[in-house]
Amino acid sequence: MWIDWKRKRLRLAVYLTLLSLSLSLALMISLMIGSYALSPSQILEALFHPKDPVARNIVLNYRLPRTLLASLTGFVLGVSGGVIQTLTRNPLADPYITGTASGAALGATIALLTPSLPLFAVPFFAFAGGLLAVLLSLVLAKKARAGPIGFILAGIAVGTFCSAVLMILLSLFSQQAHGILSWLYGSFSTSTWTKVKIVMPLSIPAVLYLLTKARDLNLLLLGEEHASQLGIEAGRLWKFMLAISSFAVSVCISFSGIIGFVGLVAPHMVRLMVSSDNRFVLPLGGLTGALVLLLSDDLVRSPVNPFGEIPVGAVTSMIGVPFFAYLLWKRGEKFGM
Amino acid sequence: MACSIVVSGISVRFDSAKILDGVKFRVKKGEVLGILGPNGSGKTTLLRCIARSVRPVSGRIVVFGRPTEEYTSEEYSKVVSAMLPSWPGGFSMKAYEIVLMGCRNRSRGLWWEGEEEMKAAEEALRLLGALDLSDRDFDTLSSGEQRKVLIAKSLAQRTDVILLDEPTAYLDLKHKFEVMNLIRALAELGKTILVSLHELELVSYCDKLLVLKGGKIVAAGKPDEVLSEKLLEEVYGVKAHVRWDRSLNYPLIVPKVPKEGTICPRSISKGNFLGS
Repeated sequence: MWIDWKRKRLRLAVYLTLLSLSLSLALMISLMIGSYALSPSQILEALFHPKDPVARNIVLNYRLPRTLLASLTGFVLGVSGGVIQTLTRNPLADPYITGTASGAALGATIALLTPSLPLFAVPFFAFAGGLLAVLLSLVLAKKARAGPIGFILAGIAVGTFCSAVLMILLSLFSQQAHGILSWLYGSFSTSTWTKVKIVMPLSIPAVLYLLTKARDLNLLLLGEEHASQLGIEAGRLWKFMLAISSFAVSVCISFSGIIGFVGLVAPHMVRLMVSSDNRFVLPLGGLTGALVLLLSDDLVRSPVNPFGEIPVGAVTSMIGVPFFAYLLWKRGEKFGM
Repeated sequence: MACSIVVSGISVRFDSAKILDGVKFRVKKGEVLGILGPNGSGKTTLLRCIARSVRPVSGRIVVFGRPTEEYTSEEYSKVVSAMLPSWPGGFSMKAYEIVLMGCRNRSRGLWWEGEEEMKAAEEALRLLGALDLSDRDFDTLSSGEQRKVLIAKSLAQRTDVILLDEPTAYLDLKHKFEVMNLIRALAELGKTILVSLHELELVSYCDKLLVLKGGKIVAAGKPDEVLSEKLLEEVYGVKAHVRWDRSLNYPLIVPKVPKEGTICPRSISKGNFLGS
């Protein structure tokens, strides 16, 4: 046990370094590719010794905010996915199980359908819709007093209701459906510094809070009764972590639209490959999510892609599913919490 | 001597069923209290009340002079540790990692366990003779081995009060005796231990007994005073000879074998499918 205990830290450090290096590489690649290809030296020049105004404009005003937003969203989805799977003690849970996604989609749709509202109101409506859905699920679950399963059921109920309203709205206003659908599919094509400046200060502290609680999250895996006996305020921590992770997810998807798969699968990739200890799952899952989402978005933007702007969520699944299937194939017996 | 635990008239209801009904007793510091009773008599619920997992509808529990509800979770986890059933499985964790969770209450580290905690976990596993299990996946252990690891987890909490729900279930004879010897040794160190038991032959390890039936206390006192033929018939509905062997300080319980023809219920008679 002593060897294992000492090796754990080393392993986390190694994996963190490896993933951080990969992510830095992906960030660099992400700044390089696009319809106007840039070399690494041109990018460094554009960032630190601007000479070429065109390159500087492309890097600073278009590629950098988009890259930051994509990786941040991936990180938040990866961490929140791990948190919510642990809180609900359900390996099939994802950050949207709380009804966040459907609530946000409904909010965004209402904003898009209201003619007098400017476009930048959409994310705020999405955010409000997502949070309202979570609160509603929480209230329902509290009334039901059925524990994590009650909460999942409440989330599904709220989510289904929002989706139903959304579908009715979509069929009633079919002319505007295209704009709504493109938001629903998720995209980083309209990333700007303004969005980065809103998302970063809200989601980074939230995610840092979640990361610092990774150890206590392991105790919550035992259920409220056992966790409280081990000395943590389990009930309060459970609610707090759920609220914070839903908040972070709502902030991110309100700008990017709904991106599936990352939040469900990134934590499982870590569990299958490294460890199911949340001190590994949360940070490594976050980095994996960031990496997957960033590379997917790069593929969307790359000149190799003949389809133009396709939904980034679809690409994420195209890249991630084969890899995940391979993991399940090889190590399926380890699948679980 | 001062009382560690004072339970005054607690009642618990699940829906309309009365699980505990006006249970009151005291336990002194350094005592081992054995809780006996048939299945469904409220033994586990009583322990869960003291562990603060179940809130009684009436009555109160005072631990070291303070009502239980006045403690924070962290404070309480330093005073009372519990090994209760329904430990969840299904996630891969090594045995030593489970025991380390018991050290959370005194941990100063935010992220990693410290060396001190590792030593406490190792010591707890050693006391249970389970050090060789420490690197095994908890889910792959046998029920008896899991039991030992969970008791070690409670010890690692280093509390003055230890609640053990059927610690000897699933254990073989050697480990049963070892666990009970350990309980005795802990009591001599001044720990107060409440233990629910099904094996009547283990009561001689207890200082006092509490016998529950239908959520009520039917008998309480020293083992040799409590255990009687009348009690066994009243509580368990069995007829048995009970002799307390003074030289061994041990109860001898021998079933009264019924005379031929009297045990056979009507359903097992010649002609039906059991009695050929």
